[in-house]
Amino acid sequence: MIVAKRKALNEIAEMLAPYKKVTVIGCRSCVAICLAGGEKEVKMLVSALKVKNKKEGRKQQIEGTVVERQCEKEWVQEIEDQILDSDVTLSMACSLGAQTIGDMYPKHLTFPGLNTGMFGVPEEQGVWSEKCVGCGNCIIHTTGGICPIARCAKSMLNGPCGGSANRKCEVNLEVECAWAAIYDRLKIQNRLDLIESVIQAKDWSASHSGGRRVFVREDAKLTPHQKKGKGVQ
Amino acid sequence: MPQTKPKVIGFCCERHGMDAVVLAARSGKQLDASVRLLQVPCTGRVDGLHILKALEDGADAVFVLGCLEKNCYYDTGSIEGRKRVGYVKQMLAELGIEKERVEMFNAASSNSWIFPEIVAKMVDVARKLGPIGGEKR
Amino acid sequence: MKSNIQVLLCKCCTEMPKVINIERLAKLASESGNVLSVMILDGLCDGKELGDVVTEAKMKEIDRAVVLACQKKDVSPAVFKAYKRAGVNPYLVEIINLREEVVLPNASDKDRAQAKAENKLLAALARSRLLQPLERSSEEMKTRNVVIVGGGVAGQAAAREAAKYGVHTIILEKSAKSIIAPGVVMPHATLVGGKGYGGSFELKIKVGESFESLGAASVVIASGGGWTTLKGSLAKAVRGAMPLYEFHQKLLANQIPAGTVVFMDSPDPAGKTLRVQDYAWEETLETALELKKRRPDTAVYVIFQEMRATGLSELAYKEAAEIGVAFIRYDKGATPKVDPKDPAVLTVKDLSYGEVLKIRLGTMVFASIPASQDNLVIAEALRIPMSLDGGIRRGSIQRGPLSTPKPGVFVCGSALFPKSREVAAAEGQAAGKLAGEFAAQGVIEFGGIVAQVTPEKCSACLTCIRTCPYEAPCIGNATKAEIRVQACQGCGMCVGICPSKAIELHHYTDEQLMTESKTLLGGDF
Repeated sequence: MIVAKRKALNEIAEMLAPYKKVTVIGCRSCVAICLAGGEKEVKMLVSALKVKNKKEGRKQQIEGTVVERQCEKEWVQEIEDQILDSDVTLSMACSLGAQTIGDMYPKHLTFPGLNTGMFGVPEEQGVWSEKCVGCGNCIIHTTGGICPIARCAKSMLNGPCGGSANRKCEVNLEVECAWAAIYDRLKIQNRLDLIESVIQAKDWSASHSGGRRVFVREDAKLTPHQKKGKGVQ
Repeated sequence: MPQTKPKVIGFCCERHGMDAVVLAARSGKQLDASVRLLQVPCTGRVDGLHILKALEDGADAVFVLGCLEKNCYYDTGSIEGRKRVGYVKQMLAELGIEKERVEMFNAASSNSWIFPEIVAKMVDVARKLGPIGGEKR
Repeated sequence: MKSNIQVLLCKCCTEMPKVINIERLAKLASESGNVLSVMILDGLCDGKELGDVVTEAKMKEIDRAVVLACQKKDVSPAVFKAYKRAGVNPYLVEIINLREEVVLPNASDKDRAQAKAENKLLAALARSRLLQPLERSSEEMKTRNVVIVGGGVAGQAAAREAAKYGVHTIILEKSAKSIIAPGVVMPHATLVGGKGYGGSFELKIKVGESFESLGAASVVIASGGGWTTLKGSLAKAVRGAMPLYEFHQKLLANQIPAGTVVFMDSPDPAGKTLRVQDYAWEETLETALELKKRRPDTAVYVIFQEMRATGLSELAYKEAAEIGVAFIRYDKGATPKVDPKDPAVLTVKDLSYGEVLKIRLGTMVFASIPASQDNLVIAEALRIPMSLDGGIRRGSIQRGPLSTPKPGVFVCGSALFPKSREVAAAEGQAAGKLAGEFAAQGVIEFGGIVAQVTPEKCSACLTCIRTCPYEAPCIGNATKAEIRVQACQGCGMCVGICPSKAIELHHYTDEQLMTESKTLLGGDF
């Protein structure tokens, strides 16, 4: 899922300092799960900012709420009044949520409360690690199910670099060399022959390097006949 | 030094936490009256939100008192309590608020001396640092 | 929801009035919202005044009470019985410990004590208004089985004791050895999995090569210690190391090689935690005695840091010393060691004489046993934690010395930590009693102060499931978290950690706690 991390509180406090009425909006989806922007984090942030304001004698009205999924307009629209009633909205969702609010209410100020990090998996409770960079052309069937683009610091496609030593990555000694992991995996799958086959140079146009991506399912799109009124589609 | 009336809130677990409070009282020790206690079933129940809300509502200092970690009645409750307090301390530090205002303590039912120590320490912190809003009491 | 509060102020005989102006407290109570009755009592624990309390409560149609007295444990049984007669839900009766939180510790500061007592009263009233009546439930246990993992000394004792309670005991023994015990003994049987909660466990066992399900009301882990394994730096370094059990077998079969025999107390004498096992001493002394009797010309040493020959085994110590077994005591300052270049020579400083001895070995016998490898499998199967040295971890001592963190599962003998056979048998008996008593009840009670999920708020993040030590939360039918109240202990850990605030703990909700906190901070003293 998308994994994000809350910005340092002093950065958030500074962002919000000039405004009299602040509303903080969280999300129940990815950011709740990675403990960055769910209802609890929103409530704690609101309380912490109020304590900070108490210390600095700042008069500021802060309130918080949560939506089911902040990147979907219908959910955001449910709290439209609360957003528009404030001077600034602090989004505690990933940047997708923050931008959705921004796109829906362009004259209104919406600031990000989180740094949106990566696609990650929970390795254990409280630890999320990056496993995918969204390159757009998945090849893990040739690498035993392990992604070398995400897990190798140099995104090597055909085996480790010369710096790999004792199963560790030379860029970060605490990280296992992805190709050591791939080798072991292919070995237990009895598919070491794949190590020998050459993966061709990657077509990076399918990744972010090719620009902003848009995925479409023609059969899912609503025809003009299906779209209702002028409401949110 | 202005004469302030410190406000300290303590979240005590129903088991060893409260037992330590009771034992201290029964051994005749006189304590500063500034500490106001709340009972929770286990310090694992304490949410960082409760601690921050207490500071928001006027506490100068907040402590959480639970069982010794190796002997928590609910096995891992006081470990959770410690983590919650730790997270709030980090938040306070990021905001430039003294993290000493919030503290985690552990006690066994048989410690008669630990609760007086906690009261003395936290009241001292509250007196030295004063109310967060700087108001005179 | 209606809120008709009765406030009881206990004078604690004469203690409270010495510090607190009770009339002022009573006046404040009667002027507070929802308070329909205020009574000042001489001594609640005495019980004599409770009749009047009940009469008044019924007359004023009281539905909840705030009792300012001392510690809950001291007053509650009588008070709750009384309120039951008055038709008040027990969870709506709050006992405030004014005596130990204010009266005793703040006696020397009467003004502040008064203000503090009044503040506590207001906070208790604020909380009382938010409380909800709660009910406990009960459920029949699905079986009366007590499953005992391990058919050794402890396991057999457990079975014999548990059977006295009329329950059905089932011993799972991993070997094929013959065991005489009540109930059923399953050879070649090991525990490999388990679900459920105390009273209704569903265990998965491996019998031979096949798997079976087995229901259990309670479980006793009596899997013993690692008899044949030798762990520890000295055991690894020395040449001719052997565990005591093996040595004893070989001695009886006359298969001991020639040469000096040293009985060593710990396989890791220089280690940080010296485990001096009670077990070692009885069997060590018996074996040393037997050895010296059979081979009077063999040099026999017993090297130890602490002698723990308990009870009558001291006689064996005496006899052994008299027939020439040498007892050498060392301390942490100079632990016995072997030279890596000549691992058959042990160097040890005798504390009593101050001499440094160099002993050329035939055999070194290690009398202490490490934890069994089986513990890993059992801990994994039942998902209970292990202790740092590889035993099954005990729950909080308040739950009992043989409890585990999982209610309904008990541990005894060397599975907990290595010990002598006699102590293991005694523990087995105790565990059998606890497990048998538990299963014989036939019903489990649960509910009241338990957690509850609001599914619409749940993000299914699995945090509660990972945090709870009792496996109360689970993912339910709607792919949202649910709390199995039968397993919920009411600690609130999942409630405090839920990132979407989807779980509440009855009787300690966020609103109740934060309202109490705010009211407490409102007092100016």
